[in-house]
Amino acid sequence: MSDLDDFKATYFDECSELLTELEEQFAAIEAGERDADRLNAVFRAIHSIKGGAGAFGFSAMVGFAHAYETLLDYVRDGRVELTDEVVSLCIRANDIVADHVNAAQSGDDLPADYGADEKARFDALARGDSAEDEEGEPIEDFDIEFTPVMVNLDAPASGEAPVADAFEAPPMQAETGSWEIRFTPHRALYARANDPLLLFRELAALGRMQVVARLGEVPPLSDFEPFAVYCSWEITLSAPELSEAAIREVFEFVDGDCDIVIAQAGSAPFAGASFEDSPAVEAAAAAQDEPDLSSLLALTEDEMNGGPLVADLPEPVAPPEDFAPEPEAAPAGAQDAFEEAPALSFTALAEAIQPAPAPQAAKPAMPAAKALPAAGEGDEGHRSVGVQSIRVDLDKVDRVVNMVGELVITQSMLTQQMDETLRARYTELVRGLEVLAQTTRGLQDSVMAIRAQPVKSVFSRMPRLVRELASKTGKKIKLETIGENTEIDKTVIEQLSDPLTHMIRNSADHGIEDPARRLAAGKGETGTIRLSAEQAGGNILIIVEDDGAGINRERVLKLARDKGIVAPEITPTDEQIDQLIFAPGFSTAEAVSDISGRGVGMDVVLSNIKKIGGSVHVRSWTGKGTRMTLRLPLTLAVLDVMLVKVGGGPYVVPLSSIVETMQCSRANFERVPSGGRVLQVRGEYVQVIDLGQRFGLPNAVAAEEQFVVLCETEGSQKVALVVDDIIGQQQVVIKSLEENFERVDGIAGGTILGDGNVALIVDVQGLRSTHIHQNAA
Amino acid sequence: MTLRVLTVDDSRTILAMLHHTLSNAGFEVLQAEDGKQGLDLLKAESVDVVITDINMPVMDGIEFIKNVRATGQHNSLPILILTTETSQDKRDQGKAAGGTGWIVKPFDPEKLISVIQRVVH
Amino acid sequence: MEALSLRDDMSDKSAAAGQNSLQLIAFSIGEQTYGVEITTVREIRAWNGATPLPNTREFVRGVINLRGTIVPIFDLRARFGDGQTAPTKNHVVVVMSVGDKWVGILVDAVSDILTVNRDDIHNVPEGNAIDTELLNGIVTHDNRMVGLIDLHAVVTGAKMDG
Repeated sequence: MSDLDDFKATYFDECSELLTELEEQFAAIEAGERDADRLNAVFRAIHSIKGGAGAFGFSAMVGFAHAYETLLDYVRDGRVELTDEVVSLCIRANDIVADHVNAAQSGDDLPADYGADEKARFDALARGDSAEDEEGEPIEDFDIEFTPVMVNLDAPASGEAPVADAFEAPPMQAETGSWEIRFTPHRALYARANDPLLLFRELAALGRMQVVARLGEVPPLSDFEPFAVYCSWEITLSAPELSEAAIREVFEFVDGDCDIVIAQAGSAPFAGASFEDSPAVEAAAAAQDEPDLSSLLALTEDEMNGGPLVADLPEPVAPPEDFAPEPEAAPAGAQDAFEEAPALSFTALAEAIQPAPAPQAAKPAMPAAKALPAAGEGDEGHRSVGVQSIRVDLDKVDRVVNMVGELVITQSMLTQQMDETLRARYTELVRGLEVLAQTTRGLQDSVMAIRAQPVKSVFSRMPRLVRELASKTGKKIKLETIGENTEIDKTVIEQLSDPLTHMIRNSADHGIEDPARRLAAGKGETGTIRLSAEQAGGNILIIVEDDGAGINRERVLKLARDKGIVAPEITPTDEQIDQLIFAPGFSTAEAVSDISGRGVGMDVVLSNIKKIGGSVHVRSWTGKGTRMTLRLPLTLAVLDVMLVKVGGGPYVVPLSSIVETMQCSRANFERVPSGGRVLQVRGEYVQVIDLGQRFGLPNAVAAEEQFVVLCETEGSQKVALVVDDIIGQQQVVIKSLEENFERVDGIAGGTILGDGNVALIVDVQGLRSTHIHQNAA
Repeated sequence: MTLRVLTVDDSRTILAMLHHTLSNAGFEVLQAEDGKQGLDLLKAESVDVVITDINMPVMDGIEFIKNVRATGQHNSLPILILTTETSQDKRDQGKAAGGTGWIVKPFDPEKLISVIQRVVH
Repeated sequence: MEALSLRDDMSDKSAAAGQNSLQLIAFSIGEQTYGVEITTVREIRAWNGATPLPNTREFVRGVINLRGTIVPIFDLRARFGDGQTAPTKNHVVVVMSVGDKWVGILVDAVSDILTVNRDDIHNVPEGNAIDTELLNGIVTHDNRMVGLIDLHAVVTGAKMDG
């Protein structure tokens, strides 16, 4: 992966966060919270998306985002009113931006006029208000050139490039010869941390240069004001074909912070006058009782260089280290003249002017002195200030997660090795193991917390979906989201988007009625889909609920019979009928609708959710609505299980689904006409599945020595599994069977036991559904 | 002497690009995601130049620059403004607050380095 | 549980082998010799049992743990329709990569590393569906017939109802 790809990945990550943020902000704005903070956040999000798009050359996105951003800017400063129309336009615009992002990410092209209507509307809105406003620049006139510029990112150290290369501005007018520049900085120039020396250095890169400092303005030391500016310079710069524009560009940043006159050598403004009143002459003339700063400067300079205060700057000069944090304005100007004299420091200067009562002159050095220790420290401890989070590659986290998983298992293995004799003999060892177990648990929780993310990132994609569904179906649908800060493993979140999309489509398409029918049924015109997330023990429940018509059981059953999913002689319960919408090959849409259709039905939901170790349950109330519940594991990596034996082989059952276990000899079985058994537990009859039989394994133990593991599956449906033996509880790391093989009915995956052998994880929910299936077939 | 650059931007993409370009050019790069973080960093760290975005949450670039200058400790610290605007607006605001110069986004690496060299010793 | 790594001599031999030649790992099932291209072989290990997988055909012997990942084991004899192998410690599992998956094949023994000429590979004679389905070709080496296993074909159709 190249650096550019890395940046793009970062960018798309960031975009998806920003789009989420946009959804949130507009949800609030739609609800009437139209304060400046929200608008600013929206503006920033669009601005950031545009900025990145520009860097990668996604010009269509830049064009759209720019128009949108301009509108937002106008809304922000009140030039355009934030009416409901503008809000819904913005919401549409967010969707279009999202489409641009998706297209850029997948490398697809959107139609050239994509979003053109909205863009035209932005322009019209902006123009409408700014028509009388002379200053309002027309939106379409933006002249930002967004060309991809990341071309040589992979090139090493471009910083070595000499300054001259970078600033070789194209000569606008190729003029030959020599320029005279008079440069008088204002105080503001220093206040903005610009520095004449740097400007000279840049100029020097353009050609041969001579600089003369004019120190005529420097007052006697008693009048000297440290922050005032007393120096100006005259520069002669000669280079073949040097243009005025190239010189002006050097002064780009200080434009307005200085007086600058540029003239060709020998031309009017400077003729004759330029070097007559040379500072050296002035300094010599100003011999007074009181040490005068300009003479002092001249003096020291003479001592150093033995020459006049005329500096030839053939190449950039490094400042002396002592000066790192520079003092204030005026001395800074004066100091520039000293930059060539590394031996000189302010301490030296202070000593030189000792006789004079010159506290002011020494003052500027103080901040420097204070700042120095900070500069010297630079230890690692300080560097982290202000940084509350770091970004870590998910692979790295996963490596830790896996290792912690193995650690957990090793630890539980060690604990199992401790028999009573050992326990009695090595109490210290036992205590150590207990501490180890605790620490391992803590470590595991902490690591899993790193991977956890709020479901918000998935939930936030749904409002748009519901909007689209509403407009396609002509229904009125409101989406409510609850518990979007519920955290769940990142991998689970990633797998959640498709199933949720299907479920919400199903609700909008088949659940919610059109407005007329709703009114006729005595409901409000607008239907509600409620999306919620909550933690329940070791699981996360994601619930999609609607207040629509409920599942049409008659139709579902008829369809299921037609398709051979349910055999004619079977009469399923209401709950079983509801669950049929997830059966493979079943789709309730008689005419495959534009929305839910797409050739895939709700069975995709089931298989996706199963893949991440979850389950789906549906409940419906005729005329009142439907509730679909996804039960998902908090984490995918480690599972608490009960280890059992079936047909001589090891199997594990997720602990979260086990209600209780009992010996078969004490279990209350009843025969049913089909030849199967049911278990009577506390007045309830529960379907019995003999795992050995189901899995086609040889009988290993006598029936009365077997055990019953009573499990609860989705929707409180119980099932009794008959196993040969119960070994005990432990934690296991889930391994995929599909990685090297394929899905096996009744098996949710595999795991590796302490002895290195593979044990299979029983898919309790899957066993139940295949059971119905088999009966039906 | 390694020059230290503080980069302040709420966009991770921009921060990552700046980091890449600057560290390739031999700078040491510090990062902050808004003006407030930038200011906190400056309290503890000495840097040679600051590059800051304007539009940021918590504390925007203009406020950030004003605050930096107001400390009185960073009067000669060059601060470069990152701007996508070609309009004079943002630059003027930034300069008025005490900004030293500006870099127009999207920046190309060479130009970025040369602008920094322009304001740093 | 001994694992014999072939990597070292593998690279030597394939370097020596010319463009038109093919290196095979030859193994036996009963009297018959079969071969797979050496580059697909990841590891050869002694049989040490496998966890049976329910609801799969008889030639799927189960799964093993190969350094933390679960790898299915196919019984080649059973795949050819000659009934399940009764494996002992002397039986061998050849672990190979098929596409992006790793699978193990249970065979009686690994006999040799052969270098054969691609031009010498013959088509499988029509007649027996199992042969044409599971073999890519036949090559003669030292007067022995070596069937070239089509790994993709061997590993498909593992599920009961598939």
